[in-house]
Amino acid sequence: MKPQSLRGEDCAEEVIRVYSNLVYRLAFARTGTTYDADEIFQEVFLRYIKKRPVFENEDHRKAWFIKVTVNCSKKLWGSAWKRKTVPLAENLVFETKEDTDLYNELQKLPPKYREVIHLFYYEDLSTEEIARVLERKSATVRTQLTRARVLLKNLLKEEYDV
Amino acid sequence: MFKERYSHMNAQIQPSAQLLQAVLNAAYGSNLPKSRNALRLKRSAVALTALCICLTLAMPALAATVAPIYRLMYLVSPGTAQFFMPVQTSSEDNGIKMEVVSAYIHDETAEIYVTMQDLTGDRIDGTTDLFDSYSINRPFDSAAHCELAGYKEDTKTAMFLITIDEWGGQNIAGDKITFSVGGFLSHKSRYESLEIPIRLSDIPDAEQTQTVSPNGGGGRDNEGYLEFEKNPIALIPAAPMDVLSVDGIDLTGIAYIDGKLHIQTAIKEPLDNDHHGFFYLKDKTGTQIDGNYSFSFSNQYEQPGRIDYHEYVFDIPREKLAEYSLYGDFVTSGMKTEGKWQVTFPLKDAE
Repeated sequence: MKPQSLRGEDCAEEVIRVYSNLVYRLAFARTGTTYDADEIFQEVFLRYIKKRPVFENEDHRKAWFIKVTVNCSKKLWGSAWKRKTVPLAENLVFETKEDTDLYNELQKLPPKYREVIHLFYYEDLSTEEIARVLERKSATVRTQLTRARVLLKNLLKEEYDV
Repeated sequence: MFKERYSHMNAQIQPSAQLLQAVLNAAYGSNLPKSRNALRLKRSAVALTALCICLTLAMPALAATVAPIYRLMYLVSPGTAQFFMPVQTSSEDNGIKMEVVSAYIHDETAEIYVTMQDLTGDRIDGTTDLFDSYSINRPFDSAAHCELAGYKEDTKTAMFLITIDEWGGQNIAGDKITFSVGGFLSHKSRYESLEIPIRLSDIPDAEQTQTVSPNGGGGRDNEGYLEFEKNPIALIPAAPMDVLSVDGIDLTGIAYIDGKLHIQTAIKEPLDNDHHGFFYLKDKTGTQIDGNYSFSFSNQYEQPGRIDYHEYVFDIPREKLAEYSLYGDFVTSGMKTEGKWQVTFPLKDAE
């Protein structure tokens, strides 16, 4: 049976609103700047609008948005344009010093670790779900998560129970 | 707790109202912000310049020895590497022939059909699985995967469908793809809803346990496991029990640890067979109850003789266990064949 879209064409606005924070926060987690997150946010939804993919259910739609956001982040990170430009200073202001400190410590992690941390702790995906959506072995994801947690623990001087 | 801290920080990160509106406008048929289009032009120009420089510098060396430097080149510049790869639509090794049947772009998906035929035996069958031994090299960013599309018994030929999408609307007609395979599994057996003849009301507490360093895990409560049990407590493997009749997967323990039912299996040389499976319980109405989490660990990684242990954990009180029966689904493979097969071919637009 051909999978049916859960939302009609006239519901693109709803889909964008529902997934806007997921896409933006994942893009920010991976790139660390709102400038890059802005760029990726547009790219992801541009692809969605152009392609209008059909999904069997909302889990598949969510997986699609995660996968495309990660792919777009990798593409931006590896692009010639990115390598030849100087990043703008991030002017995002957090509510508390703890938030700012956590942000600064996270920036010391490799992007692939930040991506796994975000999907596990914020999107509540299991390591197997992360493996599926990122097309990695679950053992690899688990190793990356473990290493990220060890690095974070060191960086935060065991301030948080990671 | 890190999770709460991280959530608090993330709650402050969201797209601006202007950015969200710009995307919504695009959904309604309006244009995205002009700055975005300008950005794209700048990027294209830089990328084109870089590609030209790469081509100029790389051409003499590539002309002499394409194959040896291909892998390195692909890491540095996939576009350049693929540009210089010679077209080769068939490849034969170890008595197995790989051949590209078609490679066309339909709408926004490239579909490539590749066959693998055993010229000397019956190593290829309808269960042939390339597992993680294949790679799909392409000169553009995209998502790609490969799956078995069919099998022809009389010619011992398996057909695989490679699908590539999400390349960002570029014109990829004429771009070359390289598909490589280093091995495959075949002659698989499936065991579905296999009832394990064991009296669950007699399951004892584990006499001895061990703390293990896990190399994988899953299940619906796996997050809790990862949070609080970094080094889980596992059963000590016992001699294989004869209640599990699956060739290649041994049942090496079933017992209670800390009020949870643990079931342990052992798989020898897992990288050569990809045997896998899972257990579940069924109540008297036939309702299936999955395990709460599972984890795996190995006896060692370096030497031949590796054994992977998988432990499936159910949070079921012992007094209720008599209401259930134990079942499992398993897949085993009977043969692993290794070789080196590689084809390179251009994509064509479907008319």
